[in-house]
Amino acid sequence: MSTARELNRIEVKAAVRRAIEGSADEIIRLARDIYEHPEPGFTEERTAKVVAKALAKAGVTPETGIAITGMKGLRTFNGQGPTVAVIGELDAVKAPGHPSADMTTGAAHACGHHSQLGALIGTAIGLGVPEVASTLSGRAAFIATPAEEFIDVEMRWGLREAGRLGLLSGKQEMIRLGAFDDIDMAMMVHTSSSKSQRRFIVGGTSNAHVVHYVRFLGKAAHAGGAPHQGVNALQAAMLALSAINTQRETFEAENQTRVHGIITRGGVATNAVPAEVVYEGRVRGRTMTAVDKIAAQVEDCYRAGALAMGASLEIVSIPGYLPLDNNKDFASVFSKNVVTEFGEDALTTQADTVNAGGSTDMGDLSQIMPALHPYVAAAEGTGHGIDYVIADYRRAVVDSAISMALTVVDLLSDNAAEARMIIDSNKPSMTRAEYVQSQADRLRKIEYRGG
Amino acid sequence: MRSTTDLKDVVSTHISSHGQPAIDLATTVLGHPETGYKEIKTSAATAAAIRSLGLDVREDIAVTGMTATLQGGSPGPNIAILAELDALPVPGHPNADPETTAAHACAHHCQLGNMLAAAIGLQAPGVLESLSGSVTLMVVPAEEYVEIEWRNEQRMAGRIEFLGGKPEFVRLGELDDVDICMMTHVTTENPHEGFGVGGTNTGLVAKFVKYAGVKSHAGGAPHLGINALNAAHMAIAGIHAQRETYKDEDMVRIHPIITRGGSVVNAVPDDVRMETFVRGSSIDAIRSANEKVDRALRAGALAVGGTVEITTLPGYLPLAPDENLTSLHRANAEALVGSDRVHEFGRRGGSTDMGDLTQLMPGIHPYVGGAVGRSNHAEDMVVDDYNLAVLDAGKAMAMTVVDLLSNGASEGIRVISEHKPAMTKSEYLVLQRAFLSERSYTE
Repeated sequence: MSTARELNRIEVKAAVRRAIEGSADEIIRLARDIYEHPEPGFTEERTAKVVAKALAKAGVTPETGIAITGMKGLRTFNGQGPTVAVIGELDAVKAPGHPSADMTTGAAHACGHHSQLGALIGTAIGLGVPEVASTLSGRAAFIATPAEEFIDVEMRWGLREAGRLGLLSGKQEMIRLGAFDDIDMAMMVHTSSSKSQRRFIVGGTSNAHVVHYVRFLGKAAHAGGAPHQGVNALQAAMLALSAINTQRETFEAENQTRVHGIITRGGVATNAVPAEVVYEGRVRGRTMTAVDKIAAQVEDCYRAGALAMGASLEIVSIPGYLPLDNNKDFASVFSKNVVTEFGEDALTTQADTVNAGGSTDMGDLSQIMPALHPYVAAAEGTGHGIDYVIADYRRAVVDSAISMALTVVDLLSDNAAEARMIIDSNKPSMTRAEYVQSQADRLRKIEYRGG
Repeated sequence: MRSTTDLKDVVSTHISSHGQPAIDLATTVLGHPETGYKEIKTSAATAAAIRSLGLDVREDIAVTGMTATLQGGSPGPNIAILAELDALPVPGHPNADPETTAAHACAHHCQLGNMLAAAIGLQAPGVLESLSGSVTLMVVPAEEYVEIEWRNEQRMAGRIEFLGGKPEFVRLGELDDVDICMMTHVTTENPHEGFGVGGTNTGLVAKFVKYAGVKSHAGGAPHLGINALNAAHMAIAGIHAQRETYKDEDMVRIHPIITRGGSVVNAVPDDVRMETFVRGSSIDAIRSANEKVDRALRAGALAVGGTVEITTLPGYLPLAPDENLTSLHRANAEALVGSDRVHEFGRRGGSTDMGDLTQLMPGIHPYVGGAVGRSNHAEDMVVDDYNLAVLDAGKAMAMTVVDLLSNGASEGIRVISEHKPAMTKSEYLVLQRAFLSERSYTE
């Protein structure tokens, strides 16, 4: 045994912790800088530059431009072993009125992704100390993913039509492109604003969803002079939404169904009968089976709106996210580190069934590899609201980085025994190839002529 | 030969002095209101009143209808004076039948009276023998297009073909030998003391709609149900959403009611029924609006995953009063009540099967006041001036008959020759029958 290998794990962890603590100001500054420059999914150009530069500085120069703005940097340790990915999400959501909102795009970090990027860099710094390189087996991957928020569907659909995207979220597209082919397990820490929670929340699931991009197509005419010559696409959309509302009583409570959407184009001039109305919608539920069933009901409601008005309809049904399946063994490694570092009262463990109703593309990853998506209670306000801000950057960035880095140490120590055990015992619901195929198969374009 | 003016004076005076039986018939009928094709007592009372004038009555035409004829002294045109037997359901009306809620809130009872008054006037000594032609008293059932589900059952049982009384009379050939028709309807509109003449009415098709869903416990298992009431709700919303597409001049009116809306609150409704009219000022307008309504009805079923059965029934055609006839009647009305109490009516949203007759021959459907209330069909619509609604209205019609049939019926012949009927009887029947459709849709 070499001297390096004789260093015990406690000493290695201490070195990692020291390195992260030493960079605390730097990584918090990076997070705050990104907060000030929010960019929505697949347009995170500046954010990507900042993150790539910081990763390079931490010694893991990433491959960039994966799925437009995504990147992946690898650190290879001395021993042979699996690859554990640490992920940070590059994109902002849109929340006009948020204190950090971009005046032009309305983008704002009202979901705290900027602090994930600080934690990502902190983890890279922590796992860059020489003590780590000499004791761990395998690799750590540092991945920044674009576009977790499934928004701007029309723009993304345009990118797809132009051949620049295949799947419309960052992790989905990076899976499709093979960026996760050499990754064996993955984790990230997301911020949460639940004040009653302890520092870290581990466990729980998330909703599956499908995304609808719907165009109601009518006929323009002067709204005062010749409304009888027009076909009102806005009325078709209104009726469709009313019809969806009539279906709510059929949604089973245990499915946690959510159906919601926005009208991104509702007519061009008040004095013209609206000829094109565009609706971006979401159907969520606990399982894909449930989502598909509700989505079929919702599609009938779009058709009903068009039929009533004699309008036409194009529905693009885009496979969204799969439910999150946190790997239990992975979670327990992370949880142990939280308890050791921050005390018993820093940890809340949630049942697998707890579902806040939202969705994440970490869900997709969790269906093809062991994955972990804990929360750090560091924010205040309402998620995606104008008041959602990080109240405790130390927790959000530094504590998250320490917890993830130490988890990697545990996973890849002792010839990566823990990681190998988790990977071997994990039963993914599908292979990567099956995932990509099923996402392609589930994407449908439906045309309908009403009346 | 007596002059037209003299004859009209005689007729008018005779109605003033001998018209009480006409008022009595009206007030008797007011007391036992009956809805269309069920006017048993009304029919009997009317037949008896006509017989008491010494006339033969042919009964049981279109279930409860009847005719009687007054012959002039020499041959000439046949003029029908019509009256409607039926009441309509108006709960809360002071004279409503406590069981059926039928009430004469459209004052058809006064039509029976004013028709009888006209007959009384024309029977004044020396009048009929001076006229060339004849007058048919035509008493028709079921002008109010109500109780659609029940009437449709009668149709399917073969007792009637058309749900309205006059289309049924046309089908049965009762109008084949009629050259000119007229009827006077009571209204609450101004002038209260006089007449409204001219004006048009919309036509309509009627629809009977059944939504079928799936019943389940509304609290315990709503996900297993398909809510037929929500389907109807969406259909009505779809109907509303298209209102901006109707041209002002088309006078489109669509106003559904829900005749069955579920059985119990705690079960998802699986059987919901609606009735509606689709009205419009032209046949094209009705046809086009009817297509839009069908789309909305189908969309309701599609939205909830249910089924809709749409029965579309022939209704009434728009009213197109003959101008020459209107002028003659107007002059008589003005002579009776003064020209300041005779108003020219405009385009009206209601419908009547007198419209069908005006598509086939010269006809008029003037209005007379003498009633108060919010509007016809309201629970506060009552007749407060029977002298006007029965006697004066009868006088104006009888005097118009004298105008038409005196002097060898020269005016009657002119009116007939200057009139261009919109269609023949066989064209009419083809048109109406083409509206009939019964279809089931899931989308």
